[in-house]
Amino acid sequence: MASISARRLRKELNEIHAEGCPCGIKLLNADNFETWFFSIEVLGESLYQGEVFKLMFRFDANYPISSPAVQFVVDQNIQAPIHPHVYSNGHICASILGTEWSPVLSVSAICVTLQSMLASSKAKERPVDNDRYVRTAPDNPKKTRFQYDDDTV
Amino acid sequence: MKVHVKHWSAVAQWRWNTGNNDQDDEGDVCGICRVPYEGCCPSCKMPGDDCPLIWGECSHIFHMHCLLKWLGTAPSKQQCPMDRRPWVTAERKIADTSNNPI
Amino acid sequence: MTSNAVRAQVAAKWQDAFTRLNRAEPGITGLMSFSEAWTLVTTFLKPYDLNDPTPRTQYDMRDIRTAFDTINKARRLPVMLENFLEDLHKSEHLIAREVEVYMNLYESNSDTETIKALIFRLVEWYNAWKPTPELGYTIVAAYTLDFQTHLFSILPISFARGVKTLVAATLIGTPSQPSHQHDRALWQAFDTLSLIERYETLIASVGYEYIESHVLEICTGQWAEPMLGNLRSWMIDKIVPWMLWPFARGATNADEAKAMMQGVGSRFDFHMHKTLCDLRTREIFDIIVDFPDSIGALQDLKECLQRVDQRAELVQSIRRAIKKRLLHPGADTKDILLSYVSTIKCLRIVDPPGVLLFKVADPIRRYLRDRPDTIRCIVASLVGDGESGDSLVDDNEPVVPLQQQEIENYGDPDWTPEPIDAGPDFRASKTSDIISTIVSIYDSKDLFVKELQVLLAQRLLALKDGNVDRERRNIEILKIRFGESALQMCEVMLRDMTDSRRIDQHVQSQHATIMHPTIISRHFWPALETSGIVMPGQFKELQHQYAQGFSHFKPDKLLRWLPHLGRVHLELELEDRKVDADVPPLEAAFIELFSEKNTWTVDELMSRVGAVSRSATLKALATWVDMHVLKEDNESVFRLLSIAEESNSGTRPSAPRSATVQDELPPVMSIQQQQAEQMKVYWKFIEGMLTNLGALPLDRIQAMLKFAAGYDRTIEQLGSFMEAAKREGLVTTKDGLWKLGN
Repeated sequence: MASISARRLRKELNEIHAEGCPCGIKLLNADNFETWFFSIEVLGESLYQGEVFKLMFRFDANYPISSPAVQFVVDQNIQAPIHPHVYSNGHICASILGTEWSPVLSVSAICVTLQSMLASSKAKERPVDNDRYVRTAPDNPKKTRFQYDDDTV
Repeated sequence: MKVHVKHWSAVAQWRWNTGNNDQDDEGDVCGICRVPYEGCCPSCKMPGDDCPLIWGECSHIFHMHCLLKWLGTAPSKQQCPMDRRPWVTAERKIADTSNNPI
Repeated sequence: MTSNAVRAQVAAKWQDAFTRLNRAEPGITGLMSFSEAWTLVTTFLKPYDLNDPTPRTQYDMRDIRTAFDTINKARRLPVMLENFLEDLHKSEHLIAREVEVYMNLYESNSDTETIKALIFRLVEWYNAWKPTPELGYTIVAAYTLDFQTHLFSILPISFARGVKTLVAATLIGTPSQPSHQHDRALWQAFDTLSLIERYETLIASVGYEYIESHVLEICTGQWAEPMLGNLRSWMIDKIVPWMLWPFARGATNADEAKAMMQGVGSRFDFHMHKTLCDLRTREIFDIIVDFPDSIGALQDLKECLQRVDQRAELVQSIRRAIKKRLLHPGADTKDILLSYVSTIKCLRIVDPPGVLLFKVADPIRRYLRDRPDTIRCIVASLVGDGESGDSLVDDNEPVVPLQQQEIENYGDPDWTPEPIDAGPDFRASKTSDIISTIVSIYDSKDLFVKELQVLLAQRLLALKDGNVDRERRNIEILKIRFGESALQMCEVMLRDMTDSRRIDQHVQSQHATIMHPTIISRHFWPALETSGIVMPGQFKELQHQYAQGFSHFKPDKLLRWLPHLGRVHLELELEDRKVDADVPPLEAAFIELFSEKNTWTVDELMSRVGAVSRSATLKALATWVDMHVLKEDNESVFRLLSIAEESNSGTRPSAPRSATVQDELPPVMSIQQQQAEQMKVYWKFIEGMLTNLGALPLDRIQAMLKFAAGYDRTIEQLGSFMEAAKREGLVTTKDGLWKLGN
């Protein structure tokens, strides 16, 4: 029997193909049910006007019961946005990805949330503990016990 | 003239009584698996009594299996996925048959 | 004035000659005896006229020999030979004269006996003039050569024809045994005159033609048993003995004879195979149709193809026949499928690697793919119910999962390369069973599964007794073929059926009712349209009652009726009679309204029942009109016939008549849609007609459609279909003629 993640993701994918992504979000790659890539821009006036970022979603077999691992992609071509809740290695501190995750959420919902997190940002700066975190961070951001100090969602 | 009906082989679809049966559309879906209520959750093969719904006091409805899977995880904190209130299963009254459409 | 030198030379020569001729005899006795000998031999040898009645001089052979010796000693033999040949030439006109006589006779009467007589006569001439063998091989050979050269130059063309007929007679006429006196003499005569060498091709052609006619005679249309063994024996019994004379003469033993005949023999053998191969190739389509009764012919063909490389011709023949006789609008999809299956089976016998089948199958598969009812046909056959005649399913074949087309596994130790005439697209399918091959016509199994669901749904809803055993068995078989997950929906459908009965029992036990619904899980049945029609009067009440009973039993659930599905058995109690009827719910709804009042307009009926088209309404009402329950008084007004009335178009007995509207399968789509679907098939014909024939009146179209398999619409139905097509812009009409275009 196909895993529940496969079924759920297939439906989400069909919906994306049928109705498109939210504005500013584009599906880059969804060849399998393990890893998806999106490009994300903040539309309108914002600190990140004109900048394009790349999001990576990783799913395990229990999605949506278990939350996806979400991070910005960082490589020679692209950087993570400079934001108080985004580490330079791409990891994101957002409650929706952690304690506030609910199985009724979706990939689109996360994209939109992150988009608005960027849009409402007041300052372009890294988290205070960025350097220390990045040195010792695990590969999978879900392993990190983030402290959510302000409302990110 | 009198019409005496001897036998009527009719056909009907069963629906869950979710209190929302006016539209004649695809039907509502379970928020967790995104499958219509009258379908079955990803772990089941047969819909209906083998894969029933569960009603919350917060008035949110899910496939029972889907919700229990969720509640079985620590991160769920035993909260309803929709509103994050602590989940309490509703007391089901005897069928509110006024909902039966004609 | 000759000079002395010349004189001396001549004298010397003269002396030489004298000495030679005289042979050292005393005086000129040598010369004399030589002269006598010369005269004797030349006279002896001189060709004479056979027709001359003058008795021949008897010669003493000793004298001849002595004389010959004398001449030999004088070394004058070559001269004598030349002399003899000259004499021969001078006499040959005698032969020419006779040949002319015989050939004129033959050309007028075409009697082979004439030719035979001529040949024997020529032998006589030959033998008569032939120098005795004692005179040496050289002279006999020179004579023979000269004789034959002359003979061949005077024989006319018609002689060849005669020879051929004679030779044919040796073969066909009486069983040719070498000991047969008649033929032996003839062959010897041929041999003597070197006719065999000269006419070798001709003789061989006699053999070829005879073999060919024999093969065609005994093998045409005879397909049940293989014929090759039979033919080979016949070759040995009939042809080989005949061949000995022309082709193995002079052989002293069997081995030698065999060696001599080898070339011709194998050519004859090849010709036999080729004739049979060509024959079967011409017959191939009918052989396929006749399968499995024609299995002998297929085995022959297989063997022949190994000998005679005519695979390309076979492919052509099949392709042509298929295109002409099978793949056209008049052929039933079912028949095309069956023929395809037969073709597969036949070609698998003839060509196990499957290259031929691959080349031939593609047009059939493409054609089938284009037909809208192919999937339905295949699926119906997969759940074969026996009544549909030949099933595609072979009950003896074990049920196996459907096989995908595999990629070549080069690591397989049993891997063999493709046959040499396989094209670039050829993929060897590893013994796919028939069903897999057929299902692979379509790229995905999904279409089949969908169609299966539709078929199952129709059947289940049509069940009267709720007994699902047969369908359960079918599903089990199909699960093996298509896999369990593909058929999950079918499982649910089956369970719905049994659950419906259980639920019904419960509800009935609480509150007995004549209503027995089938309760289905909406997402697991194919698209059954919901309908907005409202069942009036007691029907409404029945629904309401049942729904309550249901919800009492299952508090969490409700029922949503599909009122246009199902059937109602009711009894109408009219003033003077009772009418029994078993009708769809729409008809029942309408008639229920007539228990409120006796007359209704169509509009009124439509607004009460709601969500129903005018044509559906009229069709439903027509049912009642046919049963003489309603009557259409005038346009759109219907009246209840409380008291039976005489109808204009013939009387029907007014006794209670159980009327069943023809048993249709419950519409998975509405009835209209279903019919529309069927008409789409016929649309192809109509389109073809109008393309080729231009504008046509409706009755012409109807007449021609009647030739199409299974067409059963009335001209009125055709008319409304054409109207619908017109609305869609597919056709236009003018002056009663329909044509394509908008």
